[in-house]
Amino acid sequence: MRLGVKVDLKKQYKETEINGKKSTKKAFTSTKKAFTLDISFEMGNELVVLFGPSGSGKTTLFKCISGLTEPDDGKITVESKVYYDKNQKINLPIQKRNLGYVFQNYTLFPHMNVRKNIECGLKGWEKEDKEVRVAEMLDLLHIEELETRYPSQLSGGQKQRVALARALAPKPGILLLDEPFSALDMAIRTRLAEKIKNLQNKIGIPLLFITHNFEEAYLLADRILILYEGNVQQFGTPEEILYHPENRHVADLTGLSNIFDEAKVERCDEESKNIILKSGDMRIKVKSQNLKLGDKVSWGIHPENITLLLPDSGPENHDENVYSAHVNSIISKGPRKRITLKLVRQNKTLIAEVPAQFVDSMKLCAGGLCLVKLETSKVVAFRSL
Amino acid sequence: MISMLDKIWFPLSLTLRVAAISSILVLCSGVAIAYVFARRDFRGKGLAELFVTLPLVLPPTVIGYILVILVGRNGFLGQIIFNALGTGIMFTWQAAVIAAYTVSLPLMVHTAKAAIEGVDREIEYAAYILGKSELETAMQITIPLAKKGILAGLILSFARAIGEFGATLMLAGNIPGKTNTMSISIYSAFQAGNNELANLLVLILVFMSLLTIALTGRFVGKLEV
Repeated sequence: MRLGVKVDLKKQYKETEINGKKSTKKAFTSTKKAFTLDISFEMGNELVVLFGPSGSGKTTLFKCISGLTEPDDGKITVESKVYYDKNQKINLPIQKRNLGYVFQNYTLFPHMNVRKNIECGLKGWEKEDKEVRVAEMLDLLHIEELETRYPSQLSGGQKQRVALARALAPKPGILLLDEPFSALDMAIRTRLAEKIKNLQNKIGIPLLFITHNFEEAYLLADRILILYEGNVQQFGTPEEILYHPENRHVADLTGLSNIFDEAKVERCDEESKNIILKSGDMRIKVKSQNLKLGDKVSWGIHPENITLLLPDSGPENHDENVYSAHVNSIISKGPRKRITLKLVRQNKTLIAEVPAQFVDSMKLCAGGLCLVKLETSKVVAFRSL
Repeated sequence: MISMLDKIWFPLSLTLRVAAISSILVLCSGVAIAYVFARRDFRGKGLAELFVTLPLVLPPTVIGYILVILVGRNGFLGQIIFNALGTGIMFTWQAAVIAAYTVSLPLMVHTAKAAIEGVDREIEYAAYILGKSELETAMQITIPLAKKGILAGLILSFARAIGEFGATLMLAGNIPGKTNTMSISIYSAFQAGNNELANLLVLILVFMSLLTIALTGRFVGKLEV
């Protein structure tokens, strides 16, 4: 039984503290929020993505785990190592925590070549062991040919791979990645994300990953931890987060549009987990584990998950969430089209995103009619705040 | 002619020796002080910074006077030195080093502090996380990355030490063949009406200053990492 990572901490958090330098303009930046970071979670050898808006405390959490800042209260353990324990007055120095940290700006040492950078964390190793380990890291990240180069001679993607190699060389107990890809362009981002996913399987240590990009989170994560104003909103698999958000914050963060508030659970079938919501004049069937009769809920659907059918493909069928709709407008977004739909009888506007090819073959055009199907398993419902 | 060469050679070598030793001391202590000022917070830091900066703005006679009080036979430091060496330090070339050190230290501290503050803190954090202590990080990462500014500070300090006059005169005096640095020799040559010597010394000093400026520009410019 592995011990994994246990984090349970509280910290007064001020956004004015930027890059370790206290802002002296505090009086002029009164819009900046101060709140308490109150986070508790456990993880094993998995990749957990921390996801939340800026200022939700993601980086502060990383600073607490790495020892760059001290929490006010709580306990942090990684495997059998106690990093921090308020009760036992333990606050392990940064140097002794044995963790890997990859910063957004790479933070490679500019006056050392790639080899020297990677060797930096191998203090006290025998010379031969050092050489073997550096070679392993160069091989693991496919950067053998960069060995003697200096950081200024590397591209962004190469720098980030070197930073990863450097962080992993001392065999850390946990790897923290603070928006490692945000300075890279999209193509390299995706490739590196796949790389990280593969690495995770090879190195078998807990990985914590901060990102602002939900697609990236979805692609990488075994589980996603949603943070909002210093609190954990939800901790679950990408599927759970996407289709069963706990609340509005989570739904907003996953990019759910088409959200309708003021709906109510009208019927609840325990066996099939089918739930009927009444939302204004509209009845809609959803699948949900934790809603009860009479609950006030919001519901919504991702634009990509709306199915369009030809108007002559059948009648409206409210049991299957099929409604007839007017096409208000069609906007091209390259390979996809964004369609604004108005449900005829339910007086609701939906936005759908469908492949352009599909719109063309249906001969859909603004002003026309069609049928809209909201797949039961794709409709998202959550309790209103 | 030989006596003329002697009259130039001694002040020149003495000045270079005083400036070199003072600069080495300024380099070691100045960088350490600059690091502490740039990276640490402690009570009385503002006061300490003010204290180090003071020689930059004080009149040289005032600096000289304070130094005489400190390192003179009855001064706090003077007594320690006397007990250790069995002789006073006033009116020796070592006193000239003390004067030069005092006036050039602030130049080093200020330039080096700015350079150290310019080093990305996250790079230092990365070093800590990789297991390097603060001292190791300072020696292997921060100071090497701030070397441009530190070198600039060193050159400025050296130039300032070469030109030092007021405090040196009060602390080391004007003893021919012992404490007559370039600046002091120019002053006494001028006083004695020996314009020939004064002109030569001035020419050398101007040439040395030009060299320093050129070095600063070239050296510091070339040291891009």
